[in-house]
Formats: sequence, structure tokens, C-alpha cells
Amino acid sequence: MAQVSIHRDTLVVEIEGLDKLWALKSRLEIPMVNVRGATDDPGVIKEPKGIRSPGAHVPGVITAGTFRIDGERIFWDVRDAAKAIVIELRDERYARLIVEVADPRATVALIEHAIVRSTN
Amino acid sequence: MIKTAAGLFAGRAYDGISVDDLVSHLGVHRNSLYKVFGSKRGLYLAALRWHLEHQVRPLLTKVSTAPDPAQMLRDTLVADDANSELDLLLMAAVERAPVDPEVADEIARTLRGCDAAVDLALRGAAIGGDAPSELAYTLVATILGLRLRSRTSADLSGAGIALFNHLHQTRR
Repeated sequence: MAQVSIHRDTLVVEIEGLDKLWALKSRLEIPMVNVRGATDDPGVIKEPKGIRSPGAHVPGVITAGTFRIDGERIFWDVRDAAKAIVIELRDERYARLIVEVADPRATVALIEHAIVRSTN
Repeated sequence: MIKTAAGLFAGRAYDGISVDDLVSHLGVHRNSLYKVFGSKRGLYLAALRWHLEHQVRPLLTKVSTAPDPAQMLRDTLVADDANSELDLLLMAAVERAPVDPEVADEIARTLRGCDAAVDLALRGAAIGGDAPSELAYTLVATILGLRLRSRTSADLSGAGIALFNHLHQTRR
């Protein structure tokens, strides 16, 4: 599970609990200008994950860490697919973040509103 | 692809369409969808802008430049099925504009275009050259309202024609 918040012009993604161990990451900070959009997407869990580098993938249990696929680096932290959101980035180490959050709809709205504000 | 997305968003609520729906109907890879549009909202905005540019604007041009604009207004905006070209505009105005400022801007700009086109149509011919400017605003609201009602009932198909006939008669 991840905690997503926005501090000034930065998107902050904090990985909670034991997921930090599997994801080998506890916190990501992304300038909002590099955030292209967010979508709640439970179906994303069915997508091929690619090659772990490094990370943990136990189907139906957890997908966490860095995965490479189609020349892109994707960060995953998902246990419950129903709460998965996809955050698309530009000019960052990761092409996108796929993380589980407590309230996908509210988190997507938070990010999308911040994008609209930062582009106006 | 954008046209197909516009059709999907015109028929169902934004939240009722999942990324799985989009991927299967549009025949695109999920990662490509994110790469190109950034998010479902990004695709929605692209589809809405396509709809306004390629479906609504030509309709307005047709209305405002027709030899008999009043007749054209009646034929294009009131006919039973032709109004489906207004459905995404309607859906966006009702469900997304209140929560998305970019959608609200697009819709407001288009509605002003509708007012201008209908105003030209009213001044052009049969309905009457001395129509007050507020009439165009009222008529656009009525046309959109009729289309909204027609989505819930098949019995309202004659309502728009009756309205235009009434306007035509009272302006003679």
C-alpha cells in the first residue's frame, strides 16, 4: 500500500509497511510538472510485468519493485488489484508508477486536480 | 481510435467505462494508451475535443450557412437520430464539466458557438429576422433539453418539430 500526497509542486509516494522491503523503496518524489496523469485501473494487474530489476512478484499476492518491459521502467506496489492506480510520468527514472492506495478515486482526483492547477 | 473513444464516452458515464473497456474497444495496448494520453482523463479530453471539432462544429456551420437556416436548424438539430452527434457534448456538460475545469471551458466555448450559430439561423429566414438575441440562448437550451429527454423516452421525437413549427407560425 502506498500513501500519495502532494506537497507544493511535488507528488510524494510513500510506501507503507512491509511493502518497503519487497519494493526496496520507501519514498518517491516527483515534480508535478513531470506527472502526466493518474487513472484508477484494477485491470492493470493482468498486464505482463516484464523483468524484475529488482523486485518481488508472487502472482495473486504481491507485485512490488522495479520491472522493465518494452524498454520502460515501471514501479509496482500492488497487493489488492481493486485499489490499483496508474500514475504516468515524463522525464523520470520510471515511465509510470502502479501502486495500491486506500481510496483510488480520491487519489486520482487529487493528482488530476493538481495537474490542472500546475498547467494553468 | 479517438472517434471510437468519443462514441464510447457519449454512450456511457465516464466512471462507467474502465480502462479494460477502452483497451478492448479501441484495440490498443494498455501501456500505449498511457504513453500517448497519460491517463483515462487525457484520452477523454482528446475524444471530447475531437467530438467538438469534427462533429459539433460542422453541425453549427451547416446551420449558420444554410440557404434556409431555420429549416436546416429544424432538420439537423431536431430530427430523431441526428442529435446523437450532440450526445458527448451533453454527457460532458452534465457529468464532467462540474468536476473538471478543462472540460467546463470546452463546453462553455462550444455552447457560445451554438448560441451564435442559432442566432444566425434565426436572423436568416423563416423563424424571423427580428428575433431577440435571448431567443438563441433559449433555443439552444431547449434543443439540448429535448435531446436529454429523448435519451429517456422515445415518445418525444415530435417535440422539437412542434416547437419549431410554433416558432415559425408566431413569427409570420
